[in-house]
Parts: sequence; structure tokens; C-alpha cells
Amino acid sequence: MASPAPKSPEQSEKSKKYDRQLRLWGDHGQAALETCHVCLINATGLGTEVLKSLVLPAIGAFTIVDGKKITEEDLGTNFFLDVDSVGKPRAQIATQLLLELNPDVKGDYVDECPEQLLENNPNFFTHFTVVIAIALSERVLIPLSKSLWAANVPLIVAKSCGLIGYARIQLREHTVVESHPDTQNPDLRLDRPFPALLRHVESIDLDGMDLKDHAHVPYVVPLLKCLQAWRSQHGGNLPANYKEKENFRMEIRKCIRLNEDGVPEAEENFEEAIRAVNFATLPTGISKDVQDILKDDSCINLTSKSKPFWIMARALQDFVANEGEGLLPLRGSLPDMTADTTGYIALQQIYQQESLRCAEIVHRRAQHLVHHLGLADDLITEADTRLFCKHASDLAVVRGTSIADEYDPKTPNASYITQQLDDPTSLMVYYVMLRGVDKFYAEYNTYPGEFNVEADIVKLKGCISKLLGEWGCTSVAKDDYVHEICRYGGSEWHSVSAFIGGCVAQEAIKLITGQYKPVNNTFIYDAITSNTETFTF
Amino acid sequence: MDIGNETLGNQDHLQRRWSHLRKLLERSGPFCHPDFEPSAEILNFVMSSCKVLVIGAGGLGCELLKNLALMGFREIHVIDMDTIDLSNLNRQFLFRIKDIGKPKADVAAEFINARIPGCKVTPHYSKIQDFDEEFYRQFHIIVSGLDSIVARRWMNGMILSLLSYNEGELDQSTLIPMVDGGTEGFKGNARVILPGISACIECTLDLFPPQVTYPLCTIANTPRLPEHCIEYVKLIQWGKENPFDCPIDGDDPNHINWIYEKAQERARQFNIGGLTFRLVHGVVKNIIPAVASTNAVIAASCATEVFKLASSCCLPLNNYMVFNDVDGIYTYTYEAEKNPDCLACSNNVKTLDVKDGNMKLQELIDSLCENPSYQMKSPGITTVIDGKNKTLYLPLIKSIEERTRENLKKTLNELGLKNGSQLIVADVTNPNTIIFSLRMPKENDMVVE
Amino acid sequence: MIKLFSLKQQKKDGESAPRVGNQKKASAAQLRITKDINELNLPKTCSTEFPDPDDLLTFKLIICPDEGFYRGGKFAFSFKAGPNYPHEPPKVKCETQVYHPNIDLEGNVCLNILREDWKPVLTVNSIVYGLQYLFLEPNPEDPLNKEAAEVLQNNRRLFEQNVQKAMRGGYVGSVFFERCLK
Repeated sequence: MASPAPKSPEQSEKSKKYDRQLRLWGDHGQAALETCHVCLINATGLGTEVLKSLVLPAIGAFTIVDGKKITEEDLGTNFFLDVDSVGKPRAQIATQLLLELNPDVKGDYVDECPEQLLENNPNFFTHFTVVIAIALSERVLIPLSKSLWAANVPLIVAKSCGLIGYARIQLREHTVVESHPDTQNPDLRLDRPFPALLRHVESIDLDGMDLKDHAHVPYVVPLLKCLQAWRSQHGGNLPANYKEKENFRMEIRKCIRLNEDGVPEAEENFEEAIRAVNFATLPTGISKDVQDILKDDSCINLTSKSKPFWIMARALQDFVANEGEGLLPLRGSLPDMTADTTGYIALQQIYQQESLRCAEIVHRRAQHLVHHLGLADDLITEADTRLFCKHASDLAVVRGTSIADEYDPKTPNASYITQQLDDPTSLMVYYVMLRGVDKFYAEYNTYPGEFNVEADIVKLKGCISKLLGEWGCTSVAKDDYVHEICRYGGSEWHSVSAFIGGCVAQEAIKLITGQYKPVNNTFIYDAITSNTETFTF
Repeated sequence: MDIGNETLGNQDHLQRRWSHLRKLLERSGPFCHPDFEPSAEILNFVMSSCKVLVIGAGGLGCELLKNLALMGFREIHVIDMDTIDLSNLNRQFLFRIKDIGKPKADVAAEFINARIPGCKVTPHYSKIQDFDEEFYRQFHIIVSGLDSIVARRWMNGMILSLLSYNEGELDQSTLIPMVDGGTEGFKGNARVILPGISACIECTLDLFPPQVTYPLCTIANTPRLPEHCIEYVKLIQWGKENPFDCPIDGDDPNHINWIYEKAQERARQFNIGGLTFRLVHGVVKNIIPAVASTNAVIAASCATEVFKLASSCCLPLNNYMVFNDVDGIYTYTYEAEKNPDCLACSNNVKTLDVKDGNMKLQELIDSLCENPSYQMKSPGITTVIDGKNKTLYLPLIKSIEERTRENLKKTLNELGLKNGSQLIVADVTNPNTIIFSLRMPKENDMVVE
Repeated sequence: MIKLFSLKQQKKDGESAPRVGNQKKASAAQLRITKDINELNLPKTCSTEFPDPDDLLTFKLIICPDEGFYRGGKFAFSFKAGPNYPHEPPKVKCETQVYHPNIDLEGNVCLNILREDWKPVLTVNSIVYGLQYLFLEPNPEDPLNKEAAEVLQNNRRLFEQNVQKAMRGGYVGSVFFERCLK
């Protein structure tokens, strides 16, 4: 009979409840989520859909700002209102019904029109981690955009208009350490072997091995040996073009053992070495994106206000320029490969130790910078720098633009918009339509087609032509699209809201956890054809 | 169109609550389905006639039920064989702590019916396999949010078997579209299947990623990863030591703990790092990461398609959309192609006329070999009787041939074959098995077609 | 493009008239295995046994090698194709205790197409050939029975003797093998 196993610390109720998402963003991502405070402006169907997908994974807290009373129409598109609540404050009921989803989340509401709140208390919105604004008129959107831009608080604006959805993320600067790329080449450094790796590989005598061991040496070993031999015969150069790589593959193939009949044995590790030639002979370098980060002003000119990200980036830059000899710290992970256990583990440890050695240097450098800037010693922990170094090759910085600027007719998006509008498959046309709807609303205080489709088609066309004129775009408002938008009459389709709601919630989670790359910066969803597109303004 | 009270019967669809949907359904637009005729009647159909089946009341299912209910659907059935677990609560938003252990279908239906007055969700706490064709035939549209390939393939087979053809022409009234969604972490897909017309689940079976497996000899002798150690305990050590006298149950914490301990021992022995309880749990239960947001997106996309199919307000998705929001938000929409050799949907059931039930199996086989359009060589024949597979005759497998040879002398009646019985026939002359539906005049059937 | 529902079409009810073809249809796995089995092209050293001729998903394969180390032996493998066949391979176990580098004493078989290299285009026939090959060319590089593999690698004579000993029924080292000569 089995002995009762000790209860694992990882089996807490909380880690069980959130297990399926902890596998994605980890305990540290979860901790960031649980300490954030999200503000939702306007608890429409779309608004509550966004919050639903944030309350479930357990953000720390939310606040709803909405001055509207619940109407019958609201019930047809909003799941977090109930039939008995018509006439009651929308903020109150939505807060109640959303809180009921997850006792781990705190929530409150302000039953006040967002415009008034912004006027009376301009700093109200600047205390949140993220602000999400739905169905906001231009009149309120622009000052809110400016205020949050100044306060460096991310703002996500989302719309659901008939069969079209829209989301716009405004952020000044967002830094990502863990971007979780879907595919990535292993960081093996075969072109720039570090001393410990070279010593290890040189200490292995392939010829003296019996067949079994020979067929179970991790492919890195024969590949590096062959590469070193190649380079000694080719003036230190790597196989560069197709022909050289083919020849190099032949060299590796020659190392496969032959049986007594002169037929090559099946040595999977050598086949793996041959398959690895393509990426392993690429010179190890630093991607353009990471180079840009290392050259960034925020990296070069640190101040006592610099974020830990930039201090670590600077430490990284100093490492690259000194100990790293032009290279980033070694990632330290070894992909699985055909090998016996001891051979693989020995190699794995060599990579791990070198990676730790690099991270330690970066950490010392970071500590030095922290000290020099007069900041607290514990601002950057050793674990922080290790994580930073492990992901050094996929760091990302997103710098956005403000919505207020985008809406200013003087901004230089005209050629971009015109160019996109000329492409019949581009969804840019819906961006223009939605801007037209904003303008229409500002002018007539209703949505186009809310009451009269035919009459509003003409008016909406006028609004759009005016916009295009202001921007200096030569395109014209396309009749079909204007008609379609007027057909919607400002109605909200729940399933379109649910789609955009899910997307916006995930973008908010990216901003809060600092993991995964957010949309930069405008996203359009066309439910008619099930297509989406991203634009950068 | 005539919109008299007689046809409407019910005025619910005129409520102000539905004015969002009514705008789109009562107005024409340039991007509508070519046959779309705006009318108040459409919403009435959605609300009072259209019957939708939701398969699965999990991450996608909860979202689907909410979406459909808010898109006006009222006649909704939901099937789910699972009960609620704590780890569901991070995304299956119709469930609470107090519901743990209760059937998902029941709790979900109750919640929706309480929140959306007029909506009538009927729950079925059962397996999809517990229902027959009569049950499935009652629905206009089926939408599935499943985590199992087997279940998807079963449903696919079911809707294909409901199709009927007249003179080779598909009878469209027998077509039940299936909208299918799936998610994994930040990735997902939504698709529309028009059985018999567009690519089916079986046509695109290779789109499902194969399960991650490791060579047995690696697991046994040269483990390198913590996963190898876990698989060793799962595949080899458990069978040898049989610690609980039963197969592994991924939901039994004692089992997981035992595997964790043993895998840890093995990892230590081989000096392998990185073995955590979470990893053990994930490998043993084959856990797929899941978040609320991806489920919301994919279920929304599916619900939009259900509404399009029911209302004809737009052309449905043609026919596959993939979604990934790891790096920004990426989607790709394309037409998955029908496989002309598909095991499931290229198999239009062919009609085989026989004179009566007194025909012997040998005569039937002879006729398949002599028939100029088949000219079979040595057909093997099986059938399904009362849901059970039955081998009628397999000429090429000695042990079966010996035991089915007797059947050759039996009549179709004696073998339990009736008018409409299906014969599954495999022969070297065809790359696929062919399904024949037997047509024999019934003795007391006086109806002439 | 078809338009699915005319508004004239009213409620679909469960009691719609029964039509031809309303019996349960065979699953895709069933259709495929029927084809696989009917077209099994067995080498002369192999035969199949179906305990229930109506269940084509469950059967035994008997291999009696006529050359190599295992000549004269008789080895039974159980096959079980699940409802997810051919997306997933059939489960195959060796039911005869055998002294073999790629088959362990619990009957686990290390053959790539049974696990990591399985593809839906492969058939039962492919597995039969794979298993037959294992008896002709036992592979000591990737062993499941490490001791047997080491003996094969270092001393083929001894390996041959051990195989004979095991097939005749008896101990190899501390492990007892049941007799499995034809």
C-alpha cells in the first residue's frame, strides 16, 4: 500500500481554482492581476463582458462609473442586469451581479455621469491600473485621453456597433519581459562557444566510444566538433550559403558509424545534428527590436525615476558591451534531443551554469546602477534579473500614441488611412465609419439610423466627407458601408460585444501582468466576414 | 409578407428588449444574405421555432448559452456529462463554489432561465452517445464547445447520418448545420460545418494536434525531461506496482500524489530538474490551459454564426477561423476543403435494392461482385444492429471467415437486416468503405412512392 | 449558397416521421477498421485471432518468425483500437513473455509508429510489419529491456542462447520465461 503523500504546498484552494490560467501567466502574473484596480466607464453589454473576463481570473478590484438608469433595451444585450432592475442605476446592478461571479474580487461603483465626474474630479481616473471606456462621446473621450496620457495610465476604448467591433489601446510606454513567443530558435552558441562548452565538447572522444554511446551523444557535441573542424579549414568562417551548408552536412554525415558491411548505422542524434545545421550556423546576434531597446534613451539616460525594466536593460547593455562581448546573456535552456541521460544532463548543466554566471554579472551591474541612482537596494531582486536575462532576446517595448492626438485633424495619419482605404480587403473603411458615427453623434445627439435610415444615410455621408476633408484624404465615403452602418442604428449585438469584450479583457490582462504583447494600437472586428485587422495610429 | 397575429401567435419578439436585434432583422442592408428578406417574422422564428442544441456546458458552453439567450433563442437544449469542479470556476461563469459536484448542464440551464425570462434551456446530464437520431433530428442547429476529439467525431458522424438524398440530391430539410468551437490557452478556432456540403470534422482530422508522446525507450531508459519521469510512472511503474488496485484516476488526489512522489524519486535518481506538482498534474490529466477571455471570443464567434444560420441575415463563415492573441490579436479566416475521400462525408449512403428479406447473404455478395458499377472482388461486410456492430462476412481473415461462413447461407431476415439497414462494405476496389442502405419492399407496405 | 430555413418551416418536433436509414450508423473508427481488417495483407508468419468476430476493434496478432533469433517461437500481441482511431494509434501489448531488447517484461513494446510517429494514414498492416521487423532485427540502441540489449550488443552468441533458453521455457538470469515454442 502506498504511503500517504505529503500535501504539496501547490495544492492550495486558490491554486486549484486558478490552475488553468496559472499554467499560462504563472503565480507572478496572477499576483500582478490580484493587486490591480480596473475602472470601467459605462456598464453596457460590452462593458460588462469585458469586466466578466477580468473578474473571473481575479483582478484585485474594479470600479464602475456609469450615470445611466437601466432601460428595457439594456436587458436585450447585457447579461449582468436582471429584469427587475429596469429604472435602477446601471452601475449599481452591474456591480452587484459581477461581484457575484467571484468572491475574491472587490468592486464598487459611482452612479454618476463620467463627464461630470471628470469635470468635478479630474484626477479620479488617474488612480487606476487600467481604465476601460465604452460608448464614450468624443466630448468626454478627448479630455479623458489627455488626462490619462499625462498620468501614464493605460486607457482602452471599445465600441460595439451592429456587426462591427472596435478597440483602441492608449499607452505611453509598456514594457514586456515575458512575451511568450510561439516559436523560438534555441540559444546554443555553437558559433561563439563559451569556454565551458568548448572544454566539455573537446573532452568527449567520439571515436573511442562504442556504437551505443556514439548514437546517444547529444547532437550538440558532434555538431560543434564538426563546426570547429570546418572553421579551421575555412579561415574561421561559418558555412554561409546553401552550398557550404550542404557540404557541411556531408561532413557531419561522414561521422556516422558504418556497420561491418559499410552501411551507415541508424544514429538519430547525427540526423538531428544535420537538421540543426540551418539555425545552428546562423551567427548569434541581437535582434533589431532588442538592439533598439538597448539604444533607447530610457536605457542610456537612467534617472532616479527610471523603471526597474530600464535599469535592468541598462545593466544588460553594459554586459553586452563588456563581459558579453557583443552577445546577450545565454538563455540557458537546452531543447530535448536524442541522448542518454548523463550526456544530456551534463550538457544541460553547462548551459544552465553559464546562463547563471551571465545573470549574476547583469545583477551585479544592476545593483551598482540602483545604488548609483540612490534607489532602494531591494528594488531589483536576483530573481528579477534572472528572469530578465532568460528572456533578454524577446524583450519588448510598446510605445503608443494618444487618442487625443489621433482625433486631432492635424495629425499625419491621412496618407496611412488613404492607402488602406484603397485596399478593398482592408477593414480601415470601418474605422472611418466609426469615426463618422462619433461625429454624427456629436452633431445630432443620436446614432445614425436610430430612427430613420434613409435620412441619416445622407447625414452620415456628410459627416464622413467632412472628416476625410479635414484629414486631407482623397477617398470618398463608400455608399454601401454608410448604408450598413445606418442600418445598425447604434444597436448592439450581444455576440459582437462578447467577442470584443473577450479581446479587450485579454489586452487588459497583458497590460496588468506585463506578459504577452498587446495590440498596437487599434483593432477592428468585422462579424459579417469574421475578419479582424490591426492598425497603428 | 403576411404578419397576422395568426402566424405570430406570440408577441414577445416585439418587446423593446429586442430592439437591437430587430434593427438588423427588419432592415435590408448591402451585405445581407442574397435571399434575406427583412421581416419581423425572422425574430419570431428565432424566438419561438428555432431549436438549438448546445453540446458541452463548460468554458465555451456557458458562454454559448448566455450568448444565444441574449440573441433571442429560447428553445435551447444543452448536453454535458460532467459535474462542476473547482478548477472550472476561473472561466465557467454560470457556476459558483456551492455548485461544485452538481451536473454542469443542470446548473447552467437553471442560471440562464432565471436570468433571461422567456428563455427555456433544457439540460441533459448525459453523454451525447446516450441519444439517438430521433433526438438530434429535432434541432435546427447544433453548436458544440467540446474538449474531446472523439465526441466531435461522434457528433459529426451523427449529423452526417441524418442526411437523406433523393436521387443523389441532398434533401436540405435533413441538413443540420454544426458550429464548432475549440480553445487552448490564448488560441482558438471557430468553424461552420454544413454536413454533406462543406468540410466536416473527419475531412480535417489532421488539424487537431496529435497528443504529445515520448518514445517508450526514452521514458524507460534515457529520461531527460521531467515529463519523461512522469510518463514512466504513469505507463510503467503504475502497472507494475498497482498501488491502489485500479487504473489511474486523474481526479483522485491520492493517485496524483503517488505519481508525484515516484516521479520525483525518478527525477532525483537521474538528476533531472524542474519537476513540479503542477507539471505532474498537467501531464497525468493532460490538462489544457484555459482562460475566460479566449472562451468568450470563440463562443461569441460561434453564437454569431448560429444567429446568421438561423436568420440568414448574413452569409455564414466560410468556414474556418483561427484566433491567437499571444502577440497582439491575430485571426485568419479560410475555407477548409472538403476531402473527396473523407471516411465520413464522402460516404454518401448508397441505396441497394434487394427483392426481399429472403435473399441470402451469398446472393447479395454475388450481386455486388457482378453489378457493373461495383464489380467487387472479395467484399467484407459488417453492419450495425440495435447500435451493436455485427460482422456479416469477412472473406480474407481466416479466423473470422470460419466463424461467419455460416451467415452466407442465411437470409437477410435471419441476419436481422431490415429495410433501411446499413451495410458497411470494404473491398480492394475502393479506397474507402462504402455504406449501402438496404431497400426492400415491405410485405404490408402499400404506399407507392 | 443555401438558405437554411424558410419561415414557413415551423417547429421541428421530435415526432417527425421516421424515414429510411434511421438506425445507428457505424462510427468513423469502425468504418476505418473494417477497411483495415478486410485488407490486412499478412506475411505468412502472422495470423490474427478475433475473440468476437463482431468486434473488429479488438483482436490478437500471432507472430511465428521463420528466421532470425526468434525462429520457432510463437508470440501473441493484443490490439485494441479505440473510438479515436485512426487519430490515435491502437494500443498494442505483447502477451507472450519474451526476452527482447525492445519489449519489456510487462509487454510494453517500443516501436515508434505505436507512439510518437503514429499518423492517421498508417494502418493495422503497418503495425504488423513493424512488429514482424522487431523480431528479425531487434534494436539494441533504444532498448526497453536494457539487460537483453546489452547482451545483444556485447555478445551475440550469448544473446542467441538466452533467446533460445527463454523460448524453451526457463530462467534467463533471475527472470523466468514461459515456454513459447510453436
